[in-house]
Amino acid sequence: MGRQIVHRLLVSFPALLGVLFLCFCLLQVVPSDPAMIIAGPDAKADTIAAIRLELGLDRPIPIQFADYIGRVLRGDLGRSIISNRMVSEELALTIGPTVELMLGAMLIAVPLGLTLGTLAAVKRGTLLDRLIMAISVAGVSMPVFFIGLILIQYVGFRWGLLPFTGRTGPIWDGGLPSLILPAATLGLVLIGPIARLTRTAVLEVLGADFVRTARAKGLRETVVIVHHALRNALIPVVTLIGLQAAFLLGGAVVTETMFSWPGVGRLAVGAIVSSDFPTAQGAIMILAIAFLTINLLVDVLYVYLDPRLQRS
Amino acid sequence: MSVETLNALVHAEESGALGRSGALRRLARDKVAVAATLLLTLIALAAVFAPVVAPYDPYLTDLSNVMQPPTAQHWFGTDNTGRDILSRVIFGTRNTLMLGLVGVVIGGVVGGVLGIWAAYYPRADGWIMRLVDVMLAFPAILIGLAVAAVAGAGLTAVVIALVVATVPDVARVARGAAVGVMGQEFMEAGRAVGVSDRTLIWRYLTLNCISTIFVFLTLRFGQIILIGSALGFLGMGAQPPTAELGMMAAQGRDFLFMAPHIATIPSCAIFVIVLAANLLGDALRDVLDPRLQQ
Repeated sequence: MGRQIVHRLLVSFPALLGVLFLCFCLLQVVPSDPAMIIAGPDAKADTIAAIRLELGLDRPIPIQFADYIGRVLRGDLGRSIISNRMVSEELALTIGPTVELMLGAMLIAVPLGLTLGTLAAVKRGTLLDRLIMAISVAGVSMPVFFIGLILIQYVGFRWGLLPFTGRTGPIWDGGLPSLILPAATLGLVLIGPIARLTRTAVLEVLGADFVRTARAKGLRETVVIVHHALRNALIPVVTLIGLQAAFLLGGAVVTETMFSWPGVGRLAVGAIVSSDFPTAQGAIMILAIAFLTINLLVDVLYVYLDPRLQRS
Repeated sequence: MSVETLNALVHAEESGALGRSGALRRLARDKVAVAATLLLTLIALAAVFAPVVAPYDPYLTDLSNVMQPPTAQHWFGTDNTGRDILSRVIFGTRNTLMLGLVGVVIGGVVGGVLGIWAAYYPRADGWIMRLVDVMLAFPAILIGLAVAAVAGAGLTAVVIALVVATVPDVARVARGAAVGVMGQEFMEAGRAVGVSDRTLIWRYLTLNCISTIFVFLTLRFGQIILIGSALGFLGMGAQPPTAELGMMAAQGRDFLFMAPHIATIPSCAIFVIVLAANLLGDALRDVLDPRLQQ
């Protein structure tokens, strides 16, 4: 198992390098000269030249890139042009809420998706099955912000049940109510695909010999479905969650923007709108690294769920 | 065997893979697929003929008539500057569909070529697939954000994001299909008879992979539209006053409590387009290429 994870890490290395390079380009290929932005509009030519020398902008690109990687490894992502704070500080403040939002969304989507998908498979061909499948196709086709708009308008505004702007604090400090609507928005989009794949996977497993054996042994139907069928069906579902990670991240950016949730996605969008390149670069890098990490975790989970892979 | 007979054989194989007549008949029996096709055709026609179909000028503001709920004159009501929402939705659909189509077509061609090259030239395989892995490491929304950060928000940023979102998956599917075709006897026979690489790639390999790639692109179209409209919603795409559905939803958000229809109607339009595309994609896959089923 350890060797597989090491192998996976080696495979993600070029991807990580690609991510870093793109973020580096973001700082290089900016439409205007970074030195000029820092120096301000009235600066003299020699001031700009001095800043350029100080930033190392006169050196060849590969050396600048190596330098950039060095700085990233030391955690130095530069300073925000707007707030003048270190980008790493800004990221440290925003990463928590983003993780919180994603975990909250998964906590809503995974159990519901698994339940609905299993129900649809067990009651295959019935009205319930069709209804669940219709709902999940509709869910797959729904823009994230549509769900958000509906939840904000009804649950948040008309019925006044839950807050819908900002984050009041960490979950353990009374922040739970403000998390519910954003997490539900992001989670509801994921239920459709999870339910759909669970149904296919459970149907496949239900036809397998070991399920017939379990039934023949006289195990209760619930035990057969939960312990035998669902556990094996989980393997493709976990892969799907990995594939949906991109979707989850993109959805998080939209959700954070809608609910003024102080996460990395909102930071990135705000930084781009205000041309704060160092912050934008840092936020995009963290999101991309988060994406690689999710995929890595999914692979580890995959090996854990399928003991056959551990032995090989 | 002469090159001509071989070519004829390859074409027979190809039409067998597509199975046009049989597949169409099976598709016609699927009521959901027929309904989805009709709906999509209707939407596409409205989008193409937007200037003729739209009852009003989508940019004409009327400050004496703002935020009207749906009425007989304005079926979808008016927005915060009194523009007719129905007309804006029709023009917005045109822009949204165009974005999705451009993204899928460019992404499909680039991804298809990469995948087929990877299958045909084993030496390029590792490099191409590594490139694909790197592209997969960047979720589409992030690409959109990154391009918008460098080049400024606009339709170009969205198209680049959509292409990057399409390429890696298409490359994988195309490579998979092409590797299958590479194992067929006619490829070996073609090479033995001395058919050029170019003919082998274009007439033998590509033609036999195209239906798989096409079905996959149809399946992805809905998602691509969703990504495009999400970028529009974030303000990275079309800029006002251009009508684009995602951007319209974002603008309506400011008036959500006074006039919810301004944001809801464009969102609903996206939902209907994507739903029809997804239903059609699913039906096409079932008929043409059941192997693509996850």
